[in-house]
Amino acid sequence: MSRPAWQYLLGIVSGLLVALAIGWIIDRPGLCTSLYLAAIVAWQARNLIRFENWLRLRSILRPPNMRGLWGETVERANRLYQRKRFHKRRALMLLRELRRMTSAMPDGTILLGPTREILWFNPTAAQWLGLRRKLDYGIRIDNLIRQPDFVEYVVNGGKGPGPRVHMPNLGDRWFAFNLVTTSARDLQLLIVRDVTSEARLESMRRDFVANASHELRSPLTVVRGYLDTLAEDSTLDETWREPVREMQRQSERMHNIVSDLLELSRLEAGRGEAETEPIDVAGLLALMRREALSRPDRPAKFDVHLESDALLLGAESELHSIFQNLITNAVKYTPPEGTVSVRYWTDGRGSHVAVSDTGIGIPAAHIPRLTERFYRVDAGRSRKLGGSGLGLAIVKHALQRHGAQLEITSEEGKGSSFTCHFPPARVQLRESPVAGVA
Amino acid sequence: MMDTSDLSHHIHSRYNAELEGIRTGVLQMGGFVEQQLQNGVKAIVNGDSRLGEEVGRQDHKVNSMEVSIDEDCSRILATRAPTASDLRLIVAVIKTITDLERIGDETEKLGHAASRLSNSDRTADRYRELKHIGELVADMVHGALDAFARLDTEAALSVARRDRVIDEEYEAIQRQCITFMMEDPRAIRRTLDILSLARALERVGDHAKNICEYVVYMVLGKDIRHLSIEDVERQISAARASKQADQG
Repeated sequence: MSRPAWQYLLGIVSGLLVALAIGWIIDRPGLCTSLYLAAIVAWQARNLIRFENWLRLRSILRPPNMRGLWGETVERANRLYQRKRFHKRRALMLLRELRRMTSAMPDGTILLGPTREILWFNPTAAQWLGLRRKLDYGIRIDNLIRQPDFVEYVVNGGKGPGPRVHMPNLGDRWFAFNLVTTSARDLQLLIVRDVTSEARLESMRRDFVANASHELRSPLTVVRGYLDTLAEDSTLDETWREPVREMQRQSERMHNIVSDLLELSRLEAGRGEAETEPIDVAGLLALMRREALSRPDRPAKFDVHLESDALLLGAESELHSIFQNLITNAVKYTPPEGTVSVRYWTDGRGSHVAVSDTGIGIPAAHIPRLTERFYRVDAGRSRKLGGSGLGLAIVKHALQRHGAQLEITSEEGKGSSFTCHFPPARVQLRESPVAGVA
Repeated sequence: MMDTSDLSHHIHSRYNAELEGIRTGVLQMGGFVEQQLQNGVKAIVNGDSRLGEEVGRQDHKVNSMEVSIDEDCSRILATRAPTASDLRLIVAVIKTITDLERIGDETEKLGHAASRLSNSDRTADRYRELKHIGELVADMVHGALDAFARLDTEAALSVARRDRVIDEEYEAIQRQCITFMMEDPRAIRRTLDILSLARALERVGDHAKNICEYVVYMVLGKDIRHLSIEDVERQISAARASKQADQG
């Protein structure tokens, strides 16, 4: 017990003793004691009522002025109350600041509960996505934003890159979504960004490239036609022979670049995943081997190892251009006495096609950038061989559309290996195995 | 929202989750159909035959979604014997997916037509009338599904009212097409194509209106089919008043 409590008890007991003593003197101890106790009770009741009154109305009343243990109690209660009020005010202030901050954020923010129901969103999100404050709380976000890409993304818990969604009903805008798992359990934060101008710019660039290449193609065809006629003209002056042949070569290269650009823009314009026709890869590769062997610059050894006859679900034209580009590259960079080998196999992680060569190889620093458009390891080497600089970009895009990955390993001077990894979802095993296709 | 309270008031949380799952399934199907419709309209307006082919190819997904939601509904009817608002939810869902599937079919027509039309030598401005009605219809489907998601009868009614605008638009296209045909009989074949596409879009509008009616039925238990909008509004305000009186 504390000091004030002891003093309080001591006061009551000594008061009782004094009352008894007075009662003794005037010979009425019972009456005196009862009077004293009644007075104590009345005093306590008054204090209790005052205390309760203040507690009830503590926000407007000043604490009652009391002495002794009661005073101490009031003092402590008041201190507790003040501290709580301070913390509450600070928390409220912080909350208000936070709201003001998220409201001022240029990005939309939506707080989602465990079943993806909307708990809160800032005004930006409300304005962009047509959400209504309070009324839409508790509704699942994927019930209101129903674009299949978006639904798939949130249902999978935000795996993979956030989708870009076109909203024609809401001012024809594009939005990018990003789902962030918060440290609080079961709560998720959905960040919305307006990417309309980016999307428009990108589609403009794509259209420009496609249109420009398309427009370049017809004049080029005319030029090539005349050059062909000129080259075969026997009356042509001997001094002009070499320039005409060079022009022919260069226009051929230009034609290749234009058709690769067109192919690339066609791949880019293709929406989402490639179609899923069953393609006989083994047959396709065997065919391409024959084509490669008929080239004048073919290497001494060209092996095709077909260890699987599984079918790939994909687009035949795109698979053809993937393998064609890889094989052409390998043949181009391999000296005549070298070896190019193609291997096709299937395992638990899907199907794989590897094209390896014993050519000049690629320095490691260049490997990550190989699939960029017009990227060249060194300016001389690929231009001399007549490449467009777009082959691997086409391969990358076509593989992406099949959900596949390109792995490049290379050692300078020893050779390179390009491996395409197709996921199991794209592989279809044959019912009865057919032995030895090539 | 007051109207959701008695749809989401359940002791059995699994049952509740099943019902919620069905609602979400319908809206997922709706989202897919919406995208198909938008792509279909875009394919026609831009003469994009690739996109049109894709729309045609994807229609089977809508059908399989319908079948799977239908199965879920039958299972709940058989095992849970839903009553009152739950029963109305199931009934409304079964009807809604039928209409969504029909919208999918009309959209498939757009897709096939787009892959055909772009081969003929048509100038782009001939499509403008379809562009407008297409946007109106896509908006309407979007609004109907929003009303379904929010169980919002007011929004449902205002979307249903928009069907008149679409009907008028369809009539305008019809008149225009007749003029085209009289002016130039060689264009009859192509004009007929436009007419049938406009017709398909107008039908999509009707299906969206049906979905709005199911929303009202689901929330308030009032069947408002084959009634004029004014009658419907009177009935609905009465139903809402009695509902509030029950709650108060």
